[in-house]
Amino acid sequence: MTRAWRGAALAAIVVVLVVGLTPYLWMFATSFKTRLDTLSDVPIWTFQPTLEHYPEVFLDKEYLPLLWNSVAIALGTTLLSLFVGVPAAYVFARYQFRAKEDLFFFFLTTRMAPSISIVVPMYLLFNYFGLIDTKFAVVLAHTTFNLSLVVWMMRGFFADIPVEIDEAAQLDGHSRAGAFARVLLPLAGPGIAATAVLCFILSWNEFLYVFILASFESRTLTVGIPGLVTPHGTLWGQVAAVAVVATLPILIFAALVQKHLVRGLTFGAVKG
Amino acid sequence: MKKPKSIGAALATAVWDRGVGVAFLVPGLILLTVILVGPFMTTIGLSFTDLSYALPDRDGNFVGFDNYRRLMRDDPVFWQSVITTLQFVAVAVAVEFVLGFAVALLLSAHIRRRRVVLTLFLVPMMLAPVAVGLIWKLMLQGDFGMLTHYLRTVGLLGEQTAVFSDPDLALAAVILIDIWQWTPFVTLVMLAGLLSLPREPYEAAIMDGAGRFRIFRDITVPLLRPVIALVLLLRGIDAFKEFDKIYILTGGGPGTATELLSVYTWRVNFRDWDLGYGAVCAFMVYLVVLILSAACHTAMTYARGASGNEGRRG
Repeated sequence: MTRAWRGAALAAIVVVLVVGLTPYLWMFATSFKTRLDTLSDVPIWTFQPTLEHYPEVFLDKEYLPLLWNSVAIALGTTLLSLFVGVPAAYVFARYQFRAKEDLFFFFLTTRMAPSISIVVPMYLLFNYFGLIDTKFAVVLAHTTFNLSLVVWMMRGFFADIPVEIDEAAQLDGHSRAGAFARVLLPLAGPGIAATAVLCFILSWNEFLYVFILASFESRTLTVGIPGLVTPHGTLWGQVAAVAVVATLPILIFAALVQKHLVRGLTFGAVKG
Repeated sequence: MKKPKSIGAALATAVWDRGVGVAFLVPGLILLTVILVGPFMTTIGLSFTDLSYALPDRDGNFVGFDNYRRLMRDDPVFWQSVITTLQFVAVAVAVEFVLGFAVALLLSAHIRRRRVVLTLFLVPMMLAPVAVGLIWKLMLQGDFGMLTHYLRTVGLLGEQTAVFSDPDLALAAVILIDIWQWTPFVTLVMLAGLLSLPREPYEAAIMDGAGRFRIFRDITVPLLRPVIALVLLLRGIDAFKEFDKIYILTGGGPGTATELLSVYTWRVNFRDWDLGYGAVCAFMVYLVVLILSAACHTAMTYARGASGNEGRRG
């Protein structure tokens, strides 16, 4: 590569990064700006930071429970999806049976299912059982896409483990289920961890199901933020503060599992 | 090799193993049936009724194909939203693909600290779409938006215009915002595809004195074809379902300028409370996604082969 070409490539990468990050950093900065600085006609880049918005919105406006809802719902759906999905993925990776690929395709379609298409009957269903505005209802709704994510991702991780290991474990006197629990699960541990983090992220970021199924007591941060946007006088400092809290943990998690992101987002078709 | 067992014991083990397989698989299937297949069937059922929470006497009477007829003949707003959706998906996905692939090519060349660069580059797509919507709403505010200010300074935006009050600008803006958020996805997947390509064809081509462009056109693109198809389909499906950002940014407006199918479906169901007709719209959205998913499944099968990810499937 010539020097000029290299320079151009680096410049392009810098431009891409600036365009990609500036909007987020602007939101981040806004969460520390006074109302006056935010509403200034000319954008203000250097300012005296204030911490007032965070306690205002999380304590005075009682947004703290929303944070707890986000955590509880994301954890709940992650655990449920793993508990049900990991054994199913193992079956897909190790068993041969008729209609296996059709069933697998069925799991794919559930991952793709547009929430807008099923949220109405889901609302009627949960309403019938008195589950509207409960975390449990949202956990179930989020499991529609997370369960299939687990099945697709974990099938790949199990397939990466040589079959000889199963055979050796069974020679050691483990039953098939025993070999799965005592030998394969620990080996698939890193894959399970990565899958769990992805499930958590997808649930945490989800909007429509929470918006329709739980818009009061059990709403999450993602549904809480738009509630702060009003036609007259949005307090952008507070909006930004909630947005920062709703996104920063996710960015850290995403960086942790970056190696497995490709696999998770392409359903195991492309390896990272 | 397995120790020799009596036939009875072997049979018992086989039956037991089979049972374990069924026990492992069935809970997931039951769960998905209850929370997904059930509601989906209900949607289809509702589409043949006149159920509405807003109008009197519309308590779910069977109306045959009335709703479908209305969709086909008497609902220009639906068809307008189909066109808007097609515009949104086609432009957004095409630009995302070209840009994302270009960045992937840049990053696939030997770059120091590629990991760090990629991590930073992925930030937009990890943000909740709602947060993305709010970030851009803030940036494009009519009175004090940071970007509004600079766009006016360089003369790209009139003093009196706000991006989201002009129909054409609003649609262009939501497309650009989608591109901002999802170009990293294309980069991420294409980069993984590029880095997993075999070396031999390249070495052979360089020996033959092929130029950079010819190598790209005749080796890289054909080898990546399944991954390219997969990326386009995955992005296409997601863009087709887009709701969150539009809801936050424009709510479908001004007028119906940015009303994508999902937003229209939402409006029919949750603003007009016309659940029977809304079910038809919902069913249409689902149908398109199902067809695209089938194509996606095919692409995945090929992509797995192409990126050497076949592994050992038991």
